[in-house]
Amino acid sequence: MYLRILRNDIRRSKAITLTTMLFVAAATMLVALAAVLVVNLSGAIDTLMTQSKTPHFTQMHAGELDTARLAAFAQQNQAVADFQTLEFLNVDGAQFVFESGSLATSVQDNGLAMQSETFDFLLNLDGEVITVADGEIYVPITYIQGGIARVGETVTVAGKRFTIAGALRDSQMQPLLSSSKRFLVSHNDFTALKQFGSVEYLIEFRLHNMDRLGAFEAAYTAAGLEANGPTLTYALFRLFNGLADGLMIAVILLVSVLVIAIAFLCIRFSLLAKIEDDYREIGVMKAIGLRVADIKRIYLTQYVAIAAVGSLLGYGLSLLFRDALLANIRLYMGESANATFAPLLGIFSVTLVFVAISAYVNGVLGRFRHISPAEAVRFGVSQEKAGGGRHFRLSANRWLGTNMFLGIKDVLARKSLYVTMLTVLVLAAFIIIVPQNLHNTIASDTFITYMGVGNSDLRIDIQQTDHIAEKAAEIAAVMANDQAIARFVVLTTQTFRVQLNDSSDERLKVELGDHSVFPLTYAEGRAPAAANEIALSVLNASEMGKTVGDVITLVIDGRTSTLTVCGTYSDLTNGGKTAKAVFSDPSADTMWSVITAELADPTLLDEKIAAYADRFAFAKVSDIDEYIRQTYGGTINAMGAASYAAIGVALALTVLITLLFIRMLVAKDRYAIAVMKAFGFTNADIRAQYVARSVFVLLLGMLLGTLLANTLGERLVGAVMASFGAASFTFIVNPAFAYLLSPLLMASAVLASTFFGTLDAGHIKISENIKD
Amino acid sequence: MQPLIRGENITKSFGVGTEKRNVLDGISVDIQQGEFVAVMGPSGSGKSTLLYALSGMDSVDSGRVIFDGANVSALKENELADLRRTNMGFVFQQPTLLRNLNILDNILLPSMRDGRKHGARLTEKATMLMEKTGIAGLEKRDITQASGGQLQRVGICRALMGDPKIIFGDEPTGALNSTSANEIMRLLAEIHRTGVTILLVTHDVGVATKTERVLFILDGRIAGEYLPGVYDETRDDGKAREEALTAWLAEMNHV
Ligand SMILES: Nc1ncnc2c1ncn2[C@@H]1O[C@H](COP(=O)(O)OP(=O)(O)OP(=O)(O)O)[C@@H](O)[C@H]1O
Ligand SMILES: [Mg+2]
Repeated sequence: MYLRILRNDIRRSKAITLTTMLFVAAATMLVALAAVLVVNLSGAIDTLMTQSKTPHFTQMHAGELDTARLAAFAQQNQAVADFQTLEFLNVDGAQFVFESGSLATSVQDNGLAMQSETFDFLLNLDGEVITVADGEIYVPITYIQGGIARVGETVTVAGKRFTIAGALRDSQMQPLLSSSKRFLVSHNDFTALKQFGSVEYLIEFRLHNMDRLGAFEAAYTAAGLEANGPTLTYALFRLFNGLADGLMIAVILLVSVLVIAIAFLCIRFSLLAKIEDDYREIGVMKAIGLRVADIKRIYLTQYVAIAAVGSLLGYGLSLLFRDALLANIRLYMGESANATFAPLLGIFSVTLVFVAISAYVNGVLGRFRHISPAEAVRFGVSQEKAGGGRHFRLSANRWLGTNMFLGIKDVLARKSLYVTMLTVLVLAAFIIIVPQNLHNTIASDTFITYMGVGNSDLRIDIQQTDHIAEKAAEIAAVMANDQAIARFVVLTTQTFRVQLNDSSDERLKVELGDHSVFPLTYAEGRAPAAANEIALSVLNASEMGKTVGDVITLVIDGRTSTLTVCGTYSDLTNGGKTAKAVFSDPSADTMWSVITAELADPTLLDEKIAAYADRFAFAKVSDIDEYIRQTYGGTINAMGAASYAAIGVALALTVLITLLFIRMLVAKDRYAIAVMKAFGFTNADIRAQYVARSVFVLLLGMLLGTLLANTLGERLVGAVMASFGAASFTFIVNPAFAYLLSPLLMASAVLASTFFGTLDAGHIKISENIKD
Repeated sequence: MQPLIRGENITKSFGVGTEKRNVLDGISVDIQQGEFVAVMGPSGSGKSTLLYALSGMDSVDSGRVIFDGANVSALKENELADLRRTNMGFVFQQPTLLRNLNILDNILLPSMRDGRKHGARLTEKATMLMEKTGIAGLEKRDITQASGGQLQRVGICRALMGDPKIIFGDEPTGALNSTSANEIMRLLAEIHRTGVTILLVTHDVGVATKTERVLFILDGRIAGEYLPGVYDETRDDGKAREEALTAWLAEMNHV
């Protein structure tokens, strides 16, 4: 008998059944995909890093290298399992000439490397350690995938021709966030080309026990060993490797949460509507002695069937899309060791969704307990429901149109039904506004100031040479006389000894100069202004346990000085551990200088870059926008595309749910509509009432959605951003979009669907619906 | 004098193909201004269908309905709605009330559509009608908190709010016990005395004897017409009238 009831019910409410099933399918598909991706990504990263034997600690160093001293340190330190120094031959991008063009505009530090003998291996796409022959070159996978290089073609590096033998996986440097890229050549070729670039050293350690990394890092700094360059650790490599795909997974998870919420809403809505419809029947069943559990089973069967079919469909779809999403992970990192475990997890998560839905339906059906058989049989309607909005009376209404009044009254009287539509609209507003605000924020000029980069046009790096201070002064002198330069500042990074409470010593890289010219956005406090002030990057501050107002002791010019921490800021440059101050100390070691400038006429940028690059061959001149475009451009574009997709999805959702909802209401309200028509209400009146309901719910939904987006949404995004190092995050809102265009879009979606949803109301015959 | 409603050769059928049957089979009927008419006939003979056709709530297949000189069949949806709201009142067998609204609001509903500005006056009028029909004090109750007879009176109040020329009733006493039914009939008679035309469908001989003219419908045609004469409550001839009508009905049913 259950089966027959089931079939009839599904036939009666095809649209809502189908929609619910589709949402369940979409939800399970996304959850299954997310689960499979998580397992594969973490597994693949592990595999890659195990196969490569990624160093646990890498110190990049430009300048002289005292190998004997380093070896002695490694020997003495109990934690060290393995130690090596590798050479990285930094070659100007313009010297790499592929058949499709050169790397001249690349902001990456491209260079040559030789295969290591002990660890930090460069791997081929099968995960094997590459053996490279003379005349062959292996190219970072990004360039192969980006179409810049093709296997089998030739490339000229500093005039020498190589055959591209394949793509290489580099566990240390392949993520876009890491700023160097290694090309693998043979020992002989490396030696031959050495004169065309500058050598940088990778001082690498593997430890017996990764837990000792903190102590080891401290010991290395304390020993005062080579440290002219960023310090990188295993954890950071892991993070960089996982970031791009991790973001994708985060997005999928977020979307799946939304879709699950919507699936639940569909179920809730159709169930409540059905209970209302069947109120009398349920009462009769109770009256003739059926148990609540028996009655529940009739309804439960139907939804369990929907959930089962939906879940299976979703799982099937996830198998279909899985490989496409895994392609990137497979290409960059290879197979995951626990790949066999992934489908199991997928099945497990699908089962979880299924069980959750069944439990939810069971919970909603708990309402049956409260249905009084007497009331149901006598009135066919629950009395509590008739009571909603009781104090909102037509007789007391003077200022609302009667149709408007009736619409709003209906919403108030049947709150539990309209809550569904409201929630969908709130979600839709949220989905429209948050990604758009996020995109607007990261695309805005000021966003880089959250990342440790001041907002300027042009940047000149002077590193790895002698007489850095003099060279910087030389450029500064030229700039001061250059009419085209509106403002510029020279920032010099020097290392200082810090005296910590436990009387141990540490070295701190401090960037000195005027930090007010191209200011950063500070997470807390402000930029240093006086000589006794210092600002710390968030990473440094937390590591040193300092907050704004604390003091730290630095050895400046041979004397200890006490500096007050005046601010903290997020930084993604130089491994994230930086500090900024305005004092000067001619005696300290200068590591590098950066000159940033803003042009009076930004259209002259290319010209100026060429001119400065030409004149100061020792310096690296780059275009800040280009730097951002290459480093974050992909992310910004992806975010932009995602935000437009989100608008599309949200609007489609709004239309779909509103249409379903209104049609269902019209079907439910046939009797009331017939009565009103009998007493002289026109079709236009009836429609106006539905529009009033929609508009009322719409306004409420948009208000709540916008509020939520700007509070909860901002915090949510802020939390995600903070985990990537951007500590203080506030939306930069485009008001025309957020407060004008998006409400307009939503309003038109809702009104249009209300219009089409109420078409049926015109066909309702009075005689058929109130016939005695 | 032209009739308030004239039905000319009305036909109406339901179903298609072999299932198709004429529910109204060429009915012509005149209802004069100020008349009190009952429609009787066996179940399924087409009484309700006729009522819906004459009031413009349902379309006809052929023939015409003329209301107050206007061709109802030619009116558009909205004009029909206006006509019903301003000239007609309806009372059904079941109280057709909206559950969202309390009793007073249900009575006000049709008149408030245009008369919102006169809300206070309309409320006053509704309260007065409720008093007249004996349901004063129920204004703020929910429709689930009143008896069937009380709700039927709510329906009558609602029908009277627009000062209609005619009230249609489709078995307005059908769901009530005889005491309540008598009270409703007394109310309708009172309304009739103020000049309102009334057209009732009924199965109840007692109800029909209190009208001025009885139409008998059989298989979609008017099979006969009976004039019980003007009803007077004060005269004690109720029994005799009922017997005479019952005899006539028995005769009609045997034709
Ligand atoms: N919408 C419809 N579709 C098909 N047939 C219908 C429809 N409405 C009425 N009928 C049929 O038309 C006939 C007349 O119906 P109507 O409701 O007018 O009868 P009635 O005389 O009012 O009966 P009762 O005294 O039982 O109320 C019936 O046989 C009924 O089955
Ligand atoms: Mg009938």
